Amino acid sequence: MIESIEFKNFKALRDTTLPLSRFTLIVGPNGSGKSTALQAFSALHGPGQSQFIQSRSAGASKSTPVSLTAKWREEGNNCIIAVQWADDSASGPAFTASFQNRLQDLKRPRTALDRCRFFALEAGAIAAPVPLVPHIQLAHNGANLAVVLDRLRDVNPELFVELNEQLGRWIPEFDQVLFETPQPGYRSISLRTRSGGYRIPADQLSQGTLIALALLTIAWLPEPPSIICLEEPDHGLHPRLLREVRDALYRLANPDSAQEKREPVQVVATTHNPYFLDLFREHPEEIVIAEKVGLDATFSRLSDRSDLEENLGDAPLSEVWYSGVLGGVPAGT
Amino acid sequence: MKIAYLAESPADAAALTILSEAVLGRKSESVSYAGLRHRGWPTVRTVLPAVLKELHYHTDAEGFVLVVDSNGSPPHSKEHEPPNASEHQCRLCQLRRIADDVRQNVRPRPTLPPLKIALGLAVPTIEACLLCGVDPHVTEAAWINGLKQGPMPYRKRELKHKLYGTSHPSLDLETERMKRAASLLAENLSSLEQLFGQGFGPLRDSLRSW
Repeated sequence: MIESIEFKNFKALRDTTLPLSRFTLIVGPNGSGKSTALQAFSALHGPGQSQFIQSRSAGASKSTPVSLTAKWREEGNNCIIAVQWADDSASGPAFTASFQNRLQDLKRPRTALDRCRFFALEAGAIAAPVPLVPHIQLAHNGANLAVVLDRLRDVNPELFVELNEQLGRWIPEFDQVLFETPQPGYRSISLRTRSGGYRIPADQLSQGTLIALALLTIAWLPEPPSIICLEEPDHGLHPRLLREVRDALYRLANPDSAQEKREPVQVVATTHNPYFLDLFREHPEEIVIAEKVGLDATFSRLSDRSDLEENLGDAPLSEVWYSGVLGGVPAGT
Repeated sequence: MKIAYLAESPADAAALTILSEAVLGRKSESVSYAGLRHRGWPTVRTVLPAVLKELHYHTDAEGFVLVVDSNGSPPHSKEHEPPNASEHQCRLCQLRRIADDVRQNVRPRPTLPPLKIALGLAVPTIEACLLCGVDPHVTEAAWINGLKQGPMPYRKRELKHKLYGTSHPSLDLETERMKRAASLLAENLSSLEQLFGQGFGPLRDSLRSW
């Protein structure tokens, strides 16, 4: 698991370290580096991608190095993963094993970064018909969902059944994902209503329903990514559904608690939603507050505050966050 | 009997229904709502009047049940019971004051008797009550002693771990474990009455008076 990422002059993150857990929820004002932090995982994997070449912080001189340094830690196998951009060209990622390593297995962090996925789900993309292409993956915006689900039904029917059961719990008016062929070589989805058995095509489903279906699909993939970065998974969902969303993400991150035998997925998500934040009240070690002061953004783990319990008292975490005493709120508001 | 349960989650509501039905000695019918939910203390205080008025005026609910966690607040005690003796910090006393205020200010229901209300306190949490008889160290008295003298005998997080077997239970798992624990307690309520009497007793007495 990636334990932390240190940022130097990377966009809004001039000099800060993002602490990470198996599950991490980042809260903070707009422009405080939350999305940049999620992008860092892709940058660690492929620093040469065009969007990272010009990633120097605003106002930093051309000679200032831009770097990301991630710490990978697992039992007996620790390493540092570093990437750097100098003169607008990328170097890395360099994997340096800790001298204390017993396992000396650099393949695992490499594989984890290779299998890292970033999602910022969009209802329109999720609903769009998909060309039938083998091995197609769910895109960052949720596109290709129809073919990914079609494959799940064919290859992992037991998981497809589970997904439909979950869908029925999340959105009880529907009980089944169905497939359509809108034109030769394309797939699209519809949902069957529990009452009456009507087919509702994807383009007529609500935004929240589509986002929920995409989240369910991510959580029920037969071979989930090693690291999942999710931009506002609560987006468009009713507050009462958020517990189900949290459970689905926890299922990925803590398979043992769901009685599943597979590798845990490291999940990093962002939110502005107070209801969603409250669901993590008992795990402050999983919450990171992003703070923006002037041009600089910084991160701190909520549980590192020694006065946290005293400050929270009986108040909902979201209310205390909103008050500003925990930080992570827009300046001047 | 049609009863509305106001709870933090479907899991809490399921456990509360089982225990309430055990006290009543009969099954309850649910009121036609998706499920009344609150978001814990202190927000439950602010939604309680609206919930009670809605049930009173717009439903055929005959009874209403609410149990809240005491957490670090002073648990309810017999000294709070006499008129004008309610304790300002006691959550049960606070809820009773709110409920009394609503009851005094609503118009009579045209065809139904007044809504019956049963309020209880889980000391410190509903998980502690559901561990009653399973873990001998988890008792109301142990918690109250911790509040008076310190240190606290256990933390909320530990109670959850003991009941659910994991620090990250899903709602499914919570519901299953809570229902199982509540069903076991429902077979013989005496241990709950003895070991969690200060919070559970008022709920039991109200339900028995219905």
